[in-house]
Amino acid sequence: MKTIWNIARKDLALRSRDRSIFIIGLVAPLALAFIFNLVFGGSINDVGESVRFEYGLVDLDQGDVALAFGDVMANLESEALISVERFGTEAAGRTAVEDGTVDAIIILPADLTSRITSGEPAKLEVVGNVDSPTGATIASSIAERFSTGLASATDAALTAVATGVVDPTGIAEAAAEAGALPPLATVVDIEAGIRQLDAATFFVAGLSIFFMFFVAGLGVTSMLEERRDGTMTRLIASPIRRSSIIAGKALTSVLIGLVAMITLVITSTLVMGANWGRPLGVLLLIVSAVLAVVALMSFVGGLAKTAEQAGNLQSIVAVTLGMLGGTFVPISDPTSFLGKLRFLTPNAWFLRGLADLSGGSIADTLPAVAVLALIAVVFGAAALSVARRVVTT
Amino acid sequence: MTERAVLEATELNKRYGDLHAVRGVSFHIDAGETYGLLGPNGAGKTTTIAMVGGLLENDGGQVLIEGEPMTVHTLDPRRKIGLVPQDLAIYPDLTARENLTFFARLYELGGRRLKDRVENVLEVIGLRDRADDRAGEFSGGMKRRLNIGIGLLHEPRLLILDEPTVGVDPQSRNAILESVEALSADGMAVLYTTHYMEEAERLANRVGIIDQGEIKAEGTRRQLVQMVGERDRISITANGPLESVVSDLRALSGVQDVGASDGQITLLVEDASALLALALETVAKNGASVSSVVVEEPDLEAAFLHLTGKALRD
Ligand SMILES: Nc1ncnc2c1ncn2[C@@H]1O[C@H](COP(=O)(O)OP(=O)(O)O)[C@@H](O)[C@H]1O
Ligand SMILES: [Mg+2]
Repeated sequence: MKTIWNIARKDLALRSRDRSIFIIGLVAPLALAFIFNLVFGGSINDVGESVRFEYGLVDLDQGDVALAFGDVMANLESEALISVERFGTEAAGRTAVEDGTVDAIIILPADLTSRITSGEPAKLEVVGNVDSPTGATIASSIAERFSTGLASATDAALTAVATGVVDPTGIAEAAAEAGALPPLATVVDIEAGIRQLDAATFFVAGLSIFFMFFVAGLGVTSMLEERRDGTMTRLIASPIRRSSIIAGKALTSVLIGLVAMITLVITSTLVMGANWGRPLGVLLLIVSAVLAVVALMSFVGGLAKTAEQAGNLQSIVAVTLGMLGGTFVPISDPTSFLGKLRFLTPNAWFLRGLADLSGGSIADTLPAVAVLALIAVVFGAAALSVARRVVTT
Repeated sequence: MTERAVLEATELNKRYGDLHAVRGVSFHIDAGETYGLLGPNGAGKTTTIAMVGGLLENDGGQVLIEGEPMTVHTLDPRRKIGLVPQDLAIYPDLTARENLTFFARLYELGGRRLKDRVENVLEVIGLRDRADDRAGEFSGGMKRRLNIGIGLLHEPRLLILDEPTVGVDPQSRNAILESVEALSADGMAVLYTTHYMEEAERLANRVGIIDQGEIKAEGTRRQLVQMVGERDRISITANGPLESVVSDLRALSGVQDVGASDGQITLLVEDASALLALALETVAKNGASVSSVVVEEPDLEAAFLHLTGKALRD
């Protein structure tokens, strides 16, 4: 362990003398995120004070619960916060979302009232427009709030029905006091994912992970450099295990990755007003993402014969995954083939995890964390076997 | 071989594809002994050293370090070896002291002892006042000295130097040779490869002449030279009855041949240092007076040429 740390400490000292790492790891992502935010931020996330969100309501239920929801929407409309347009079919509603005529639609399924009254789980669907992440988020929260209120009310009402006090049709009207009970109706947010991140956070997060790819590959590259420069001979001649050399290099990459990411989170929060979400969740995602990217890039770099070759290979992979993962710009149609393909990349899972975190709890990030951890394990093992080849004179 | 050799290499072989780079190389080195591996570029010196240092898997043969087998997998014997690679193996972006400290830690040095050893080595390699400068800023000779210093940190039993003076200015070169002599005098075994005849002559107690992967001959300089029939030469300039001097000299044992011309007597002898006093006594006994004496020992150059059919030049 001492040896591993000795190697990592030496490499960190070397890297800290090399200005390029600060540029790649910190300056570039911050500067680009800042520029991207200026150029594209407005179109993606225009939360001007005068903006009113336009929502579509697709009422397939036509029951009491739907009526109650209509009242909630009408209330908000009368306060000039939103405008509501009704659509007869789900298809018409979706077309309106896709065309951008509305920011989001809320779909009340046909069996909503009957499910609620019989105490079965029901769901409200929210379909958001790509270009209006905030509009979609607000629609979700309206639906969420309604279903939570509904839950407590239903619970109270069911008791009332059971004891014969109220007739079942009066349940919806009984919506009043909300307790801390779980919602009976789940709000399914179709447009979850990157859309819940505000533009500044989205850009800085996407660019951070993109540039992480370049920083994370340095460990393997430096092994190839040591081989080229002859110092590998010395490392091998000394009484240390070859695996310690690899571990020291991996540790260096992970530490540099973590420091870069954490610095970016703090700086972007302070300077650009980025909103990453709860620190513990962000930390979990950062750690798993750094491990995944280090493993992936170590594997890719380990396939090369020279440091230069490794750098080139790594760049190609970094840019490809960056584009595919929707790092630079959100993918316009997330349900398309290309939109689904992005989940082959750690980039997309990292952004997805952050989005889940901003829309929910730390537990919601766990799927993304798990996928990133899996990538780390699989490519870590592969990297280890190719790296052994590099530890020669 | 006295008691147990510090290094014993037996029948080492290495092939690179079709090229049989090292063929059955065997030699041993005792404590305090400097062994010179002398041979032209491409002879197999570096390959041999890589197998001795456990850097390279051999295709047959055995390396024992103080009786312990050394392979690419064993760690323990490595602590006893200080290996100085032929190509500079230092970090140019670290200072001299940082370079030394990093490598010292790989040999499990720490605390007070680590500091002491680093300071001591800085002193030995004459880089004390440049200790905190980046190695990349050093002259070629200084880099070479640092390269060697790293191999001395853990006070190895066997120091392996692979052509340490290539591309070095004469002053640094001399400093390097002097420190090798000093280390050897302290009891360190040294394996020194070179393609410079003078270095092998000056440093090595025994020399192995290697060419095309094979040790062609091995021994002290004298043994090697005698092996090919070369003899020491004593030239005496004298006045007096030279004919009788010559016939008396001829009668001495160990004298191969004597000739005289223009007041100069030339003797070819087996061992000039053993015979010199007697030869001068003989001259004096005959009433001749000596005005100058020159002793020439034949160099390895001739032996090398004879053994390999090659002149040892860059
Ligand atoms: N890694 C290698 N692959 C193939 N051939 C090599 C390799 N290393 C050395 N050789 C060849 O082996 C021979 C011996 O090389 P080397 O041990 O470096 O000689 P020296 O150190 O005496 O100059 C040379 O012909 C050299 O070209
Ligand atoms: Mg060599």
